[in-house]
Amino acid sequence: MGKEKPRPDGTLVQGTLDMLVLKTLTRGAMHGYGIAQSIQQISDEVLRVEEGSLYPALHRLELDGMIDSEWGQSTNNRRAKFYSLTSQGRKQLSKEAGEWKRLAEAIARVLETA
Amino acid sequence: MRRIRKKLQALWRRRRLDRDLEDELRFHLEMKAEEGSSPLEARRSFGNPSALKEVCRDMWTFATFETWWRDIRYALRTLGRSPGFTAVAVIALALGIGADTAIFTIVNGAFSWDAGLDRIDRVVFLSTTDASHSQDFGASYPDFRDFRARVKSLSGLAAYSMIPANVSDSSGLPDRYWCVQMSANGFSVVGQKPLFGRDFTPADERPGAPPVLMLGHHVWQQRYGADPNILGKTVRVNEVPMTVIGVMPADRRFPEDTDLWTALVPDAARERRDNRSLMLFGRLADGARLASARTEVDTLARGLAAEYPDADKGLTAEVRPIIEITGLYSHRPILAAMFVAVGFVLLIACADVANMLLARGAARAREISIRVAIGAGRARIVRQLLMESVVLSLAGGFLGWLVALGGLRWFDAGTGAIAKPLWLHLSLDRTTFIYLAAISIGTGILFGMAPALRLARVDINSTIKDGGNGAAGGTRGLHLSNALVVLEMALCVVLMVGAGLLIRSATKLYGTPIGVDSSSVLTMRLNLPEAKYPRPADVVSFHYRLKTGLESLPGVEATALASNLPLGGWMDQNYELEGAAPDPARSPRIGAIVASSGYFRVMRLAPLRGRLFTDSDGLAGLPVVMVNQSFASKFWPGEDPLGKRLRLVWARAPQPWLTVVGMVPDVLQNFRRLLERDPLIYLPYQEEPERVVFVVSRTRVPPASLTQAFRREVQGLDENLPVYEVRTLGERIAQNRLAVGLFGAICSVFAVIALVLSSVGLYAVMAHAVSRRTQEIGIRMAMGGTARDILQMVFAQGMRPLAIGLAIGLVLALGVTRVLRIVLTGVSPFDTVTFLSVVLVLVLAGALGCAIPARRAIRVDPVAALRRD
Repeated sequence: MGKEKPRPDGTLVQGTLDMLVLKTLTRGAMHGYGIAQSIQQISDEVLRVEEGSLYPALHRLELDGMIDSEWGQSTNNRRAKFYSLTSQGRKQLSKEAGEWKRLAEAIARVLETA
Repeated sequence: MRRIRKKLQALWRRRRLDRDLEDELRFHLEMKAEEGSSPLEARRSFGNPSALKEVCRDMWTFATFETWWRDIRYALRTLGRSPGFTAVAVIALALGIGADTAIFTIVNGAFSWDAGLDRIDRVVFLSTTDASHSQDFGASYPDFRDFRARVKSLSGLAAYSMIPANVSDSSGLPDRYWCVQMSANGFSVVGQKPLFGRDFTPADERPGAPPVLMLGHHVWQQRYGADPNILGKTVRVNEVPMTVIGVMPADRRFPEDTDLWTALVPDAARERRDNRSLMLFGRLADGARLASARTEVDTLARGLAAEYPDADKGLTAEVRPIIEITGLYSHRPILAAMFVAVGFVLLIACADVANMLLARGAARAREISIRVAIGAGRARIVRQLLMESVVLSLAGGFLGWLVALGGLRWFDAGTGAIAKPLWLHLSLDRTTFIYLAAISIGTGILFGMAPALRLARVDINSTIKDGGNGAAGGTRGLHLSNALVVLEMALCVVLMVGAGLLIRSATKLYGTPIGVDSSSVLTMRLNLPEAKYPRPADVVSFHYRLKTGLESLPGVEATALASNLPLGGWMDQNYELEGAAPDPARSPRIGAIVASSGYFRVMRLAPLRGRLFTDSDGLAGLPVVMVNQSFASKFWPGEDPLGKRLRLVWARAPQPWLTVVGMVPDVLQNFRRLLERDPLIYLPYQEEPERVVFVVSRTRVPPASLTQAFRREVQGLDENLPVYEVRTLGERIAQNRLAVGLFGAICSVFAVIALVLSSVGLYAVMAHAVSRRTQEIGIRMAMGGTARDILQMVFAQGMRPLAIGLAIGLVLALGVTRVLRIVLTGVSPFDTVTFLSVVLVLVLAGALGCAIPARRAIRVDPVAALRRD
């Protein structure tokens, strides 16, 4: 997914981050740090998630009911806040992913033809 | 919805929310540190955790409300810590806002007048003029009938004439009211209906119809105790019994604030086309424009002139919106000027507080820098600072409300029941309150914006380092302060020039002798109804008996009758001078006063030439007239007026020649231009016995003490005859001069406030500048600078904005004072004395504002100053 439309500095545009967070959470509940790590690793370090955008996005998604949160124990036995996907979040994800795909394909076609 | 629910839940767990956020972010940082990066590095890539926490926190809270509330509490605490500044600022704002609200209430009341008329902008007056009258004159009933039948652009046309009415019946003492005789369609033309009872019908205006009467609400309440069974009762109006058919709603007194209405019945006298005594008003037809109505009505008038050349020669007509004729329309420029003036006061107050905030800003720069350093956004800082100014201005607004209440009470007391139009209700109503709230918040933002923006731009590094001299202390801050002082001074000049001109008018006015001795004169007005006193001989006989009765009262020295009192105008008469070329079409007009023989003695007027009237003048022998000095010097310059002749011209018919037998000194009679000495003639009372006259008596005791005795004397002669306007001559004169005095007083109050505020403003700026330059002054003194040099430096700095402000203000004032022309008496709008005094006062006030800081500057101890910081 190297064509994830990163900005030159590798940060994500608003909205895209929401989608990536939701997608990441399909693999199960995760804390904020884990989400950031996961996105970075899967994108081969191309996408860097900054804390300054991640936490506002998480709290916004939670307020909108896309994700739920629960306090639990992290792998190294620390108190951490775990986020999980709600059914509404799942619906939102499939909608956004579909739209993104359509858009990306369209752009790709234009680039190839030209 | 979900958001709001979650936020509401979070509201109860505020402390837990804070802890959770803290924990979540700490966990992240710790994880990051464990991954290998050093804690410092982890923190650096993290950005500002406080700011991030705040962003997330705001999401969970009703951020706007809560931060607003926090800002307000913070503002209150900050202001509470400097009570001196807060008090001065709030008082300045209260004066500005209060004065502004009071004037707004007056202007709003005056401008929003509609007399309860339906769509007042469509109601017009139709005035006619004919060849022999140079100004607006009434219409005759036949003209009215023709206009009404022919006009297309008006959907209704009504006529009225106003008469004084003596009302008497079994329910109390006789009263004197104004009564409008109006065509039956009058109320429907202006869209009014009686509160109860019936409107006039065409049957009421047929000749011979039983007379009917409509009561004003206040008459019904006051005279008849709101009697619910008033309909059908009989009331005598000018001795004619009339049946009450209805009562109008409260405050419906159209036209001309009348008290009563009766139907206008065209009797034989009214049917004469040259009997011009009616006023006409109508409503523009739907779709008709004022311009088209003008053209049509004028064409109709010219048609009538051609049709009836005898009576309507040269007839022209004009249509004007009723708003232009009634209400305070003629005073609109003055009211607008007052509104602008009071706006200036408010602006000066704003500039003052802005300057104080700028000076304070220097001290607060450090606090602000720290807040910026720990993550407060500039917008938050600006908002916080604006909140402080708005809290200030709201406090000012609250106090200002009290100021406005006091001001209005003062205005009410000053104008009294006589000078203030009846329809003008001054109360702090909802509109006023909204206005007050709006200007309070508006001024807060206005004066707070510049200082707040300046402060929010502080350079964090240098400010924290050098202890807070950087922010508003920079030259740019000083420029702004100086600009504000210039603004204050300029506005102050305009206000002071306006006030000065009005004060000069007032002193001129009160300093000019009227020409009569107005002390110890009691006056009252009588109106003998034609029904009871049909012949002139009846009128004369009544007046003679009254005079005899009054003069027999202890304390009364002499009694006389006159048609007009000093400053009370005159009666216009057409006349011809003997020897002058006669012009039958347009004979000249002159002011005439009908006076009985004792009038000149009562008024202490001695003849300059010839003699005064005697009791036999006007009865028998040679018809005589007296003139005043202005008349004689205007028409017979350098000649002896005695023996000259002139005659009056009534309805183009010359009357017998009158011989001048005496000349008296000028008396001020003009009630519009109060210092004007108009040429006037005096006619003997017996020649022209008037039904409506003033009775004047010179008394040996304080005149007001005789009021009841005078009333009893009149009632003893005719128990149905009301006495009205029983007042001393001094009171009457004071009333006529009220407008100038009142506007002068209001404007003076504004000017004094403006002067104090601007001087305080200049002082604040200078004090701040001196304290900023303490170090520099210390160095100068250490280098051998004398006290004189330092003084020069401070004064030069202070006087520059003052001088610029003065220059701008004088130019503005030259333009603005033109508006005052209609209330200025005997003073030119460009009066040099006023302009010079204003400059002098302002320079003195400015010097005082500089002197205190300058004194402090020369007392600077060089050693202490250099050790500072």
